[in-house]
Amino acid sequence: MSLSDALPTFLAEARGLLEEMEDSLRILKQIPSDTDAINALFRAAHTIKGSAGLFGLDVIVTFTHHAESVLDRVRDGLLPMDSVLITLFMDCRDHLENLIDAVERDESPDGPTLGQGAALVARLAHYLGSDLDAEPPPGVGAVPLVLEDPVVNLGRNGESDDDVWHLSLRFGPDVLRHGMDPLSFIHYLTKMGEIVHLFTLTDAIPPAAEMDPEQCYLGFEIRLRSEADKATLEGVFDFVREDSRIRILPPGSRLADFRKLMESLPEGVQRLGEILVGCGAITQRELEDVLDLQAGQSTDPPLLGEALVREQCIQPEVVAVALDRQQEVRKRQTQDARLLRVRADKLDLLIDQVGELVIASAALRVQSKETQDSVLMESIYEVARLVDEIRDSAMNLRMVEIGETFNRFRRVVRDVCKETGKDIELVVHGADTQLDKSVVERLSDPLTHLIRNAVDHGIESPAQRRAKGKPDQGQVRLNALHDAGSVLVEVSDDGGGLDRERILAKARERGVIPEDRELDDNAVWNLIFEPGFSTAHKVSNLSGRGVGMDVVRRDIDALRGSVEIESRPGEGTTFRIRLPLSLAIIDGFLVSVAGNDYVVPLDTVLECLELPATAQARGDDQLSLRGEILPLLRLTELFRLQGPRGRRRNVVVVHWAGRKAGLLVDDLKGQLQAVIKPLDSLFAGLPGVSGSTILGSGEVALVLDVSGLMDLALREETQSRTGSRSHNNGSRIHGLVQ
Amino acid sequence: MGKTVMIVDDSASIRQVVGMTLRGAGYTVIEASDGKDALAKLNGARVNLVISDVNMPGMDGISFLKEFKARPEYRFTPVIMLTTEAGDAKKSAGREAGAKAWIIKPFQPNQMLDAVAKLMGP
Repeated sequence: MSLSDALPTFLAEARGLLEEMEDSLRILKQIPSDTDAINALFRAAHTIKGSAGLFGLDVIVTFTHHAESVLDRVRDGLLPMDSVLITLFMDCRDHLENLIDAVERDESPDGPTLGQGAALVARLAHYLGSDLDAEPPPGVGAVPLVLEDPVVNLGRNGESDDDVWHLSLRFGPDVLRHGMDPLSFIHYLTKMGEIVHLFTLTDAIPPAAEMDPEQCYLGFEIRLRSEADKATLEGVFDFVREDSRIRILPPGSRLADFRKLMESLPEGVQRLGEILVGCGAITQRELEDVLDLQAGQSTDPPLLGEALVREQCIQPEVVAVALDRQQEVRKRQTQDARLLRVRADKLDLLIDQVGELVIASAALRVQSKETQDSVLMESIYEVARLVDEIRDSAMNLRMVEIGETFNRFRRVVRDVCKETGKDIELVVHGADTQLDKSVVERLSDPLTHLIRNAVDHGIESPAQRRAKGKPDQGQVRLNALHDAGSVLVEVSDDGGGLDRERILAKARERGVIPEDRELDDNAVWNLIFEPGFSTAHKVSNLSGRGVGMDVVRRDIDALRGSVEIESRPGEGTTFRIRLPLSLAIIDGFLVSVAGNDYVVPLDTVLECLELPATAQARGDDQLSLRGEILPLLRLTELFRLQGPRGRRRNVVVVHWAGRKAGLLVDDLKGQLQAVIKPLDSLFAGLPGVSGSTILGSGEVALVLDVSGLMDLALREETQSRTGSRSHNNGSRIHGLVQ
Repeated sequence: MGKTVMIVDDSASIRQVVGMTLRGAGYTVIEASDGKDALAKLNGARVNLVISDVNMPGMDGISFLKEFKARPEYRFTPVIMLTTEAGDAKKSAGREAGAKAWIIKPFQPNQMLDAVAKLMGP
């Protein structure tokens, strides 16, 4: 049951009490000294105040409090009940009824009603005399209560309640004597923004006889719509600060800003006060004042956050956010404390050594098999298992989160936006995806290029976007995720997409493809990776000079990765980069072809099968696998191998980036750990091979690059279809293997 | 009706800059080189605001402030003190003498205009 459910009960009760009040007042009109009636009147007022407080109806609470205070004095015999007072209480009762009517209509009291209330409070104040100063009503000492309701009022009337500052000004009695005119300050305030609402608190004004005309009795509650920061607003009241009580509450809507600002604070800032000052929620001066106040209370001083809220410097929500931030920073710092910085070369050395260990352990395993000594073999398998684990742990040491690199791209996007006048947001997902440090480092350049391209060419100008019915703000998404033993990094934009016709035209013009060739989308998109290929209409400062995309491809190839493109006209383009988890040691599958050993990265291997005799006899270049037709890559032909062939042929079914193919090999030799040694730079560009490794036997085996092989196969296929078969690739590899 | 501001400073350049800035903003400006000069020039004249240096030969700012505030016609006239050091003994002396507004030197003309605007109203 919520409060609003109970509201009807309150309303019914209040109406009953109002009737009681009226009855009592009627009796008092006849017999002003009737104590029962006075007590009943007091009790009714008191009950209304109490339950209104429960419902947060502060206007009613405050108003009733004044009436109650006067009634209290009547009850105590300090004030005689006379016809003037009875009329006043009648008016008060009617006013209360108005207020309660407003609550029932779910409205806040309108201006006239509030003005009436203020006038009544002033009339009541006459009967309280100096008591009003000496003993401010509870909850009213924090005077905004009086104003809280106009605040709500503005909100409910459709004006946004959330974006205005709340200034609570209590000018000191001496300000006028010092030549300070409250009006000038308020006037000055209009330079900072628009005063949405101003309420003058006159209840401190004593009866005329006691009033000192040189004293200032005024307080103001001001709601200000302003872009200024808190320190600036506080600065307005610099000259009266000492004598007056100035409270400035930031708009609720700033909460989100504060949160953002808090996040951008340096990690060193971790004291609550520093955080709050740092984000501008409170000013240095407010902090110092409250700290002084805290220090002044020797016994049981309040917590800083509480004190700030109590002093109305800040909303409790902001303190809560700041406390969260504080916790977070502390947590991160304790995490940092558990980190150890190690020089990268030490780590590389360790990985190298683990690599050697893996090779040595493999050799040991091969040799132990020959001895046929089962006890020895058992021990060696145990060692091999441990070596595996050490390898995994060592590789893990090199894994870093990709997010650090990603953050750098925010700047890239911002800079390019500035140059091109576009408004583009970079959305990052999967920043915690882990990848080998060297891969992350080497990925930075190609990613920068892709992102620049996306911002510069991919996403249209705001005007073009608007014409297409897209939001002005474009979006570039950077996404990293683990996918089947590799890491996928995607750069996508919601721009116009690649222009198929323009790319084709350009390719034909440059002679990259023959005039009459028809290509599927994938093949067309891949054309942009050709050297010197750019379709940008005009060359900009940033990209479009036709250098770049081929470099992107080369960089990614060098990482044993692949890149594919997906593009839809009018919807955008996605570059999908697929990378191996690590460059140094992989699980591999050893096969032999014509007496040569090759390692297929295990994460690309789907299954192995014997080549059906019929297919072998026909020399098919396709394989039907449970109804699915796969291209069959004959490594002997691709690599021009000559040597003793096995009796049986086997097929290793591999997959990469959603494509499948069968590799035709002689023998399947089983799983192994391959420590990848890069090929000499002379051979670095070889398609189909990504490195070499040393086997347990001491022999060298080449590590196959499955994505490269597939491209190769695709090219051979299309070229053979068009009849212009290229020979250079195969012969280069052939030379290497010899 | 134009408002009148008096600037009391022994530095002619400060008087000049302050005077220029204030006149530019539409105020009438009376310049005085020290407290004595200021009191002499005031002599019942209508002044809406006084800006006074603290350290001046002849009569210093604090003494001037005391005498100025003692004159009934200027009791409610706001005074801005110009000071080089914030929060020193001079300041508390000035506070006792009735100075509430301070501008710390060096200041930009705009800062001074802001301070004046805060005290002078529309």
